[in-house]
Amino acid sequence: MGGRYLGRKLAQALVTILAIILLNFLLFRMMPGSPERVLLRNQYLTQQKIEQVRAEWGLDKPLIPDQLVSYVRSTAQGDLGYSFFFRGTPVTEVLGQRFWPTILLIGLGEMISIVVGLAVGSYAGWRRGGFADRIGSGVSLVLYSMPYFVIGMPLILIFASGLGLFPTSGMLTVGATYPSLIDRLVDFGRHLVLPLATVSLGLIGGYSIIMRSSIIETRSEDYITTARAKGLTDGRVLRHHAFPNAMLPMVTIIAINLGYVVAGAITAEVVFNWPGLGTLTVDALSSRDYPVLQGVFLLLSVTVVLANLAADLVYGLLDPRIRS
Amino acid sequence: MTASVPATPPSAVASGLRAERWRLRARGLRAFVRRFGSRPDGVLGLVILLIFAVQALAPQLFVGPFQTVTTATGSALEPPSAAHLLGTDELGRDLLNMTVHGARISMSIGFMATLITIFVGALIGVVSGFVGGRVDSILMRLTDFFLVLPTFVLAIILAPVILDIIGVDAELFGMRATLLVIVVVIGVTSWATTARIIRSQTLSIRERMFVDRARVIGSGPGHIMRRHIFPNVVNLIVAQSVITFATAVFTETSLSFIGLGDPFAPSWGQILDSAQGSGAPGLGAWWYFAPPAICVVLVVLAFTLVGNALDDILNPKTAIRR
Amino acid sequence: MSEQPDALQVAEQARDAEQALQAERAGLAATRGRRQWPLPKQADPSAPLLVVQDLRTHFKLESGWVRAVDGVSFRLNDGEALGIAGESGCGKTTTALSLVRLLPSNARIRKGSSIELFGIDLVPKTEDQLRRYRWREISIVFQGAMSALNPVRRVGEQIAEPIEFRLGEPKERARRRAAELLELVGIPRKRAEAYPHELSGGMRQRVLIAMALACDPAIVIGDEPTTALDVMVQAQILRLLEQLRQELGLSLILITHDLSVIAETCDRTLVMYAGRVVEEGPVRKIFSAPRHPYTSKLLGAFPSIQADRRSLDTIPGLPPDLRDPPSGCRFHPRCPAAMAVCKEIVPPEVLFPDGVRVACHLHPPGRDGGRLVSAADVASRRASA
Repeated sequence: MGGRYLGRKLAQALVTILAIILLNFLLFRMMPGSPERVLLRNQYLTQQKIEQVRAEWGLDKPLIPDQLVSYVRSTAQGDLGYSFFFRGTPVTEVLGQRFWPTILLIGLGEMISIVVGLAVGSYAGWRRGGFADRIGSGVSLVLYSMPYFVIGMPLILIFASGLGLFPTSGMLTVGATYPSLIDRLVDFGRHLVLPLATVSLGLIGGYSIIMRSSIIETRSEDYITTARAKGLTDGRVLRHHAFPNAMLPMVTIIAINLGYVVAGAITAEVVFNWPGLGTLTVDALSSRDYPVLQGVFLLLSVTVVLANLAADLVYGLLDPRIRS
Repeated sequence: MTASVPATPPSAVASGLRAERWRLRARGLRAFVRRFGSRPDGVLGLVILLIFAVQALAPQLFVGPFQTVTTATGSALEPPSAAHLLGTDELGRDLLNMTVHGARISMSIGFMATLITIFVGALIGVVSGFVGGRVDSILMRLTDFFLVLPTFVLAIILAPVILDIIGVDAELFGMRATLLVIVVVIGVTSWATTARIIRSQTLSIRERMFVDRARVIGSGPGHIMRRHIFPNVVNLIVAQSVITFATAVFTETSLSFIGLGDPFAPSWGQILDSAQGSGAPGLGAWWYFAPPAICVVLVVLAFTLVGNALDDILNPKTAIRR
Repeated sequence: MSEQPDALQVAEQARDAEQALQAERAGLAATRGRRQWPLPKQADPSAPLLVVQDLRTHFKLESGWVRAVDGVSFRLNDGEALGIAGESGCGKTTTALSLVRLLPSNARIRKGSSIELFGIDLVPKTEDQLRRYRWREISIVFQGAMSALNPVRRVGEQIAEPIEFRLGEPKERARRRAAELLELVGIPRKRAEAYPHELSGGMRQRVLIAMALACDPAIVIGDEPTTALDVMVQAQILRLLEQLRQELGLSLILITHDLSVIAETCDRTLVMYAGRVVEEGPVRKIFSAPRHPYTSKLLGAFPSIQADRRSLDTIPGLPPDLRDPPSGCRFHPRCPAAMAVCKEIVPPEVLFPDGVRVACHLHPPGRDGGRLVSAADVASRRASA
């Protein structure tokens, strides 16, 4: 891959992360829960005490650069402050417990929906106007219009409380003891099915719609006519000529879409009470736990930026025009 | 030829031109209506939207005044019956009543959020595309930043900040502060896509104007933007507004669902939040969440259908591709 | 109205035709013997290579049917190069693509059309049956601006693909053959690993030629193969085509709006206007003494190196709307020599003893030994001298 392409993408990601940190810093000063406000709200504090604490916390220094520099430094060291709600537990520790369940849910959901969405979309686009296209596009459009929790609620109603196939909430059965790791995994898997189905269904609609129009655009390219002229079977033309080209713009779109997936995953987690960053966000929101909210924002933003960087690299690998 | 040309007074020429222009516009409008009419998906979307618009404009005509805890007419979590066609919630309120009133709240939040989104997006897009150079690259960097960011989480963090700025008692067009916060939060976090689209259209119009320089020569930038750029992007803005409306209703529903809504003025998302909070899905109380959920899906779907149809007809790029 | 051609002339004509027939039989055996792959099962080994009769390909639009190709007949002999010329939109590309039905979904080949390859009619074949003839029998050198090659696959793979999947050769053999083909068109073997964007325009065109030769086809169609290239490279590509044609005995259909390309490479030329053949015959005859006013205008519209630039001719007016073509001769609204009859009656195709076929009221049957062309003429070997 071209070194310049790589360098440019790395620099862009770095600048974006710095901008996120700056945004987070500024928001923190404007928040109702900012250190200044918390101090001032306590009417029994003497002016002298306030000054003393301000000096101790460095709040008497100018906002920029001194406070910013110390903020960036502590952020870089992984110090994101302390949770209000969890009685002074470091935010990093709170986030650490909740990060992996969310990543697992989004990661697996993305994998399933990319495979299914691209397959459905490319077949529908290839047979544009046909029966499969009508059904596929209709279902995709309806799924695309459904917020994740709207998908999740009927799933609980039908498969959990109705048929009793899967548990309604959580990641593991509360209070259960497991004779072996396998049992633990099975229990975990049973809890995972419905949230994962929700996230995947929520994503499939959008991916298949975009893939369909990408295939339709690709279908009119000259190299598709060349491939047809070679007498290759229809399926081979689709799989080996149309699909690899139509997929290229999808890489970028899937990456850009990650920000929205995070939003959807948050609501899906709430429906299933999945112990990830989404439920954490909602709990922090209702208890006005601002340090945790900011930590979530910082963590998710940086993750999304890094995922975007990864997508750019994948794009570079897939498209020979960029690779060289 | 010696016949003298009858002297036409300039005002008559002007009024003739004006009449001609109106004729052209009327013809354009007729052509547009015909093309839209030939899109069954767009027409279906439009019909759904009209039904919800009527509900939103005058909910009390259909289901009477909004029920509160004190005026609730049923008992807790009644399934659908003749008295309560869609059943009741855990406070005994009639769900048909709540859902129809929810239309007004969801749609008006969606409408105002769309206004802000489109205003910010179009402004940034036109300025960026027209001014170009440094301004363009800075604005586009900002746009990309907002495109990548998980804006939903940003919206959650921004909500208390904005509530703080506008004050808890603020009210606009009878809309309470909590709802205004949602409007503003959606507006400031979702303009980036619009800005991108409007910018690229502005750029291509500007390119065309270089070719067509004579017509533009001697006009100031304000005049050019008003007379040449704006009329050419307004179609796109219309199409983009409709699509943005769908996203705005979607986002509003999600934000209300996770607790940013107003329980005293419940939108569909807020009803869904209450349903989730009362454990309706686990209790099998499908009538609690099904009506608002179906409404949300129908409205988002309808806006998407109309928006796509408009985009195909009005957007020069997609129009050519067909 | 037609005068009888004298007996001597008729006898002469018959003798010429007989000689041509015999020469051709000999040639036929030689070139068909060159084939590496057996003929299709239904093929008639003694049938001419390609006979197209009354081809009508129409496109359906909301506003009506566009009669892009409307009654075209021609034939192609083994080892021959036929150039199809005409303005853009005259139906020349549609004619060529109709042969293997590479048409957009709104196109229909009308009933009564026939495309006979080795005597096998391709028109009634289903899409699946027709696939067998694509590339193995009729391949196409597309215009290689950039877009005819798949941008994400190596050129070697793209050449090897039909060898592997159409001829069933193992992957390794297909790759080796692809490299040989690249060398044949003057590209070093190792460039097989290159992607299309890494090659120059001329190289890409060579790749497309190598690709067209992959299955050793009976007919190669060149669809504006030099249009996107600059003049120097054009000349190289034309030389390459000519050399390959002689070495491999290719049968070639060359579609171009550039008459100088036809002059350099082809044996016969077919001039089309508004979906019909206006004139067809040996290149020398047509270029030195065009009979149809459109052909002379077309020749005049082209600058030759010797010609005085000021004399460059233009054809007034635009090609007609083929949803509703002009009555009578389709060229009459733009024709400098138009007569009253041209507006009323479609001029019949008339065959002259020198092998030129013309559809123009200025050259009615009977004069100069011309006689009406019948379907049998096109099919039988006598039609082309």
